[in-house]
Amino acid sequence: MLTFNWCGLYMLIINTWGIMGESKSDVLQGTLDLMVLKTLQSMGELHGYAIARRIEQVSANTLSMNQGTIYPALLRLGQRGWIKASWGTTESKRKAKFYSLTARGRRQIEAETENWERIAATMARFLGADPAHSSR
Amino acid sequence: MESLRMLLSRVASLVRGKSLDAELDDELRSHIELAAEENVKRGMRPDEAREAAVRAFGGVTQTRERYRTQRGVPFFEVLGQDLRQAGRQLKNAPAFTLTVVAILALGIGANTTVFSIVDAVMLRPLPYAHPERLVEVESYSQSLPEGRNVSYPDFFDWRAQNKSFEHLVSYHEVSNTLTGVSRAVHLDGQATSWDLLPMLGVRPELGRGFVASEEKRGSRVILISHAFWQSQFGGDPGAVGRTVHLDGDAYTVIGVMPESFRFPVTEPLTDFWTTLAWDDDPTDVHPAVTNRGMHFLNAMGRLRPGVTVEQADHEIHSIAGALAKQYPKTNTRHSEARVVPELKAMLGDTQLLMLVVLGAVGLVLVIACGNIANLLLTRVRERQREIAMRSALGAGRRRIVRQLLTESVVLSVVGGALGCALAFGAVPAVLGMIGKSVPRAADAGVDLRVLGFALGVTVLSALVFGIVPAMTASKTDLVRVLQQGGPTKVAGRDWLRKVVTVAQVALGIVLTAGAGLLAASFVTLARADKGFNPDHLLTLNFETPDAAYKDTRPQFYRDYFERLRALPGVVAAGGSIVLPMSDDEVTISFENPEKPVDEGSQPSADLTPVTPEYFRTIQTPMVAGRDFSDADNMQAPQVMIINQAFAKQFFPGEDPIGKKLKPGAGNGSKDGPPWRQIVGVVGDVRMSATQREMRPAMYLPVEQMPNWCCVRTVVRTSVPPLSMETPVRQLVTAMDANIPVTEVRTMQDLVSLELSQPRFAMVLLGSFAGLALLLTVVGLYGVMAYSVARQTREIGLRLALGAQRTAVLRMVLRDASMLLAAGIAIGLAGALIAGPVLRAMLYGTGPRNPALLAGVVASVAMAGLLAAFIPAMRAASIDPSRALRTE
Repeated sequence: MLTFNWCGLYMLIINTWGIMGESKSDVLQGTLDLMVLKTLQSMGELHGYAIARRIEQVSANTLSMNQGTIYPALLRLGQRGWIKASWGTTESKRKAKFYSLTARGRRQIEAETENWERIAATMARFLGADPAHSSR
Repeated sequence: MESLRMLLSRVASLVRGKSLDAELDDELRSHIELAAEENVKRGMRPDEAREAAVRAFGGVTQTRERYRTQRGVPFFEVLGQDLRQAGRQLKNAPAFTLTVVAILALGIGANTTVFSIVDAVMLRPLPYAHPERLVEVESYSQSLPEGRNVSYPDFFDWRAQNKSFEHLVSYHEVSNTLTGVSRAVHLDGQATSWDLLPMLGVRPELGRGFVASEEKRGSRVILISHAFWQSQFGGDPGAVGRTVHLDGDAYTVIGVMPESFRFPVTEPLTDFWTTLAWDDDPTDVHPAVTNRGMHFLNAMGRLRPGVTVEQADHEIHSIAGALAKQYPKTNTRHSEARVVPELKAMLGDTQLLMLVVLGAVGLVLVIACGNIANLLLTRVRERQREIAMRSALGAGRRRIVRQLLTESVVLSVVGGALGCALAFGAVPAVLGMIGKSVPRAADAGVDLRVLGFALGVTVLSALVFGIVPAMTASKTDLVRVLQQGGPTKVAGRDWLRKVVTVAQVALGIVLTAGAGLLAASFVTLARADKGFNPDHLLTLNFETPDAAYKDTRPQFYRDYFERLRALPGVVAAGGSIVLPMSDDEVTISFENPEKPVDEGSQPSADLTPVTPEYFRTIQTPMVAGRDFSDADNMQAPQVMIINQAFAKQFFPGEDPIGKKLKPGAGNGSKDGPPWRQIVGVVGDVRMSATQREMRPAMYLPVEQMPNWCCVRTVVRTSVPPLSMETPVRQLVTAMDANIPVTEVRTMQDLVSLELSQPRFAMVLLGSFAGLALLLTVVGLYGVMAYSVARQTREIGLRLALGAQRTAVLRMVLRDASMLLAAGIAIGLAGALIAGPVLRAMLYGTGPRNPALLAGVVASVAMAGLLAAFIPAMRAASIDPSRALRTE
């Protein structure tokens, strides 16, 4: 009998035809995702504006980021099932969409954090090995 | 799967795009307002606050765009664009679209139809448990390699001695009359070994199966079919345990089989199954179960797990060899045995037929794809500017190939859908033509499997005919096309169009030659002298069970035929136990005192007991001697008649009249078969429409075979034969209300049924060949028309420089002839190689019929030149001044 690797076919189609249309060059994307997740972890349920403000504040405005960038990131995290959203009202009685972590999102933070620390450590080693630094 | 989850979420958002857009707008608005509010709190003026909020946000439109990209599935959005674009393109070229769709619908329709039949006949497994372990065991001999039946004692020895089979089961058809119901009913059944059901892995729907002890003499139990249970017992569960009377004997119903049950698979109308105790008649001196000389059983087995067909074949072959040494008198002519996979045994010759038809229809599709590829290539030329414009605007090569392939797929899907619709209509028509000549064909229909096949063929053909034009188009030289403002040569692809055309011509020749062979063969069969006149002959059958007629059978038939001949509209009437064109045959060995040999090596011939006037009724001439008469009864000297083939083979150059022979057929007397004197010689009768030569036959008077049942009636009428059905039925019922009349048919119908397989092969291959030729001619026309259009300027120039129009005409025709000649040469070689495949299906013609091939070549060449003539005429009538001004 002919056995068929459906999963393989699926990946083949996805990759050949570029179904997702995601660009791989977006290096900062993962960083922003982790920032959003961390923010939600420490602050609980927040709307988009509050998340953007919080990231600006924590980064002490060193990160020059358009606040709008947050929305594609929020959508992406929602599509992965890491955060969920619902409409509510703010303290000033305004309608806004509030985001919060899901259980999967919570687990993901650990994985992402670990991943990020590994990259950071690697980078640090590279930077530490710089002859310009060591000669000092 | 992370990416799967994401894909689903994205696909879901495709559906609700509008409402999601509105929601995003709400969210962004609320963001700006919240930001502005905070800015006001910090002391800004409201308009400043809002401005600052918008600035901090960045581009709202940009965000929305990126958000949408993240949300949706670009593939589908692009696909949507491609589909809309394809739709526009195809609508703008209706002639092209219609042509392609029609060609595809025919190609895919024909393939789907044939596949549905091949699937039902060959691909579906047998409806039993683990069908791959089921095999047929056949007895044969060196002199008769096509196979024979086995006798009970041989079967019992096979069963006891083998180690290869889990079960080995004998079976043979029986028929009889069910009485004791409102009207006597004719039933068809099978007498089998007790373990039929365990072998097949099937259980009764109700009641139980047979047990081993029920093979013993005197056991009378039956399993009935679901249909029989419904019609005779109204589906009453209490039917199990009831008694029914078959030919006057009482049988107990022990179970009801499921509705889907069929055994044998080729006999879907079987009413009941009983054990082989059926053949152990206590009143018979020498019952079938102990008679090693009576070969009439089929045998089917289930291999033990792990035993291969070859191992079983080897074992059964050596058992049969040993039996032949042990019982030379009866087994010399049955010295070999073999094991064949059940499905293969069931298919027999039809496998070749199926493969030939499948191959032919596949070739038609290949030709159709070639045509469409050529049409698409032509279109690519017309669309070069459009494609160049697209790539100038930034479309990548992959993007353009994808757009063009989408167009091909759209065409193909429309064609495929129409093809399926066509198949829905065609399958019943083809099945009507096949009749019962192909086992299991009646199960064919357009179902999910078949639709899946059609879908596969559709997509595959779209890729086949679409890929080359798409690749060609994407190589368009953008700068040159846009600069020149007109179509240029599609670089280097013209040879491809020519190759396609040559291949089409070649395949067309192969198909037409094959169809021609089958047609010639069919005409031979249909016109063949049958040795009798099938016009105005009615045939019918009824049984005279031993229970009522054991002693009075001859008298009954004498009365019956006398009254039958007296009916108005009847010219003559007679009877025979074996009718021509009925698939029946009885062969028996005989003893010739002039050429004594060992009992085991005696010659044999067809045996047919007939009534007086039988030969006059079917209009077979008496060549010498006399016909039987009513005086040839048991008290009179025992006599026989032979046919010319018999006289020629066994009495060459002698007068056979008056010679004595002893055919090994008993007439019920204790002394065994009697010596019989030859009293007449008749013309040869073709027993089967497809038999290759006339076989020697012996005819005996039925009155001297009173123990043989049952005489089939043949009536020659002066009126339309079927109009005599009612009077004949009334006559039989008047003589005995318990005798149901069955199988009322005209002889012409029987002949036609016998020819249904060759007719089916001829009609199918003929239509495919016709289709192939049509497509080829259209393809050739397309190529020539294209080439003329492309050379308009060149031809115009030549004409302007003084070339003769006839020279232009000749030039175009010469180009076409080159293509044709190449195609014909390759096709001829193909036909010569492929012809012998059909050998087993041919009658009256060799597989390499030169006259036929010449005819095929001539007609293809004529049709091809005709197709080329139209573009040639156009080329010759080009107006030089206009041709030079254009482009």
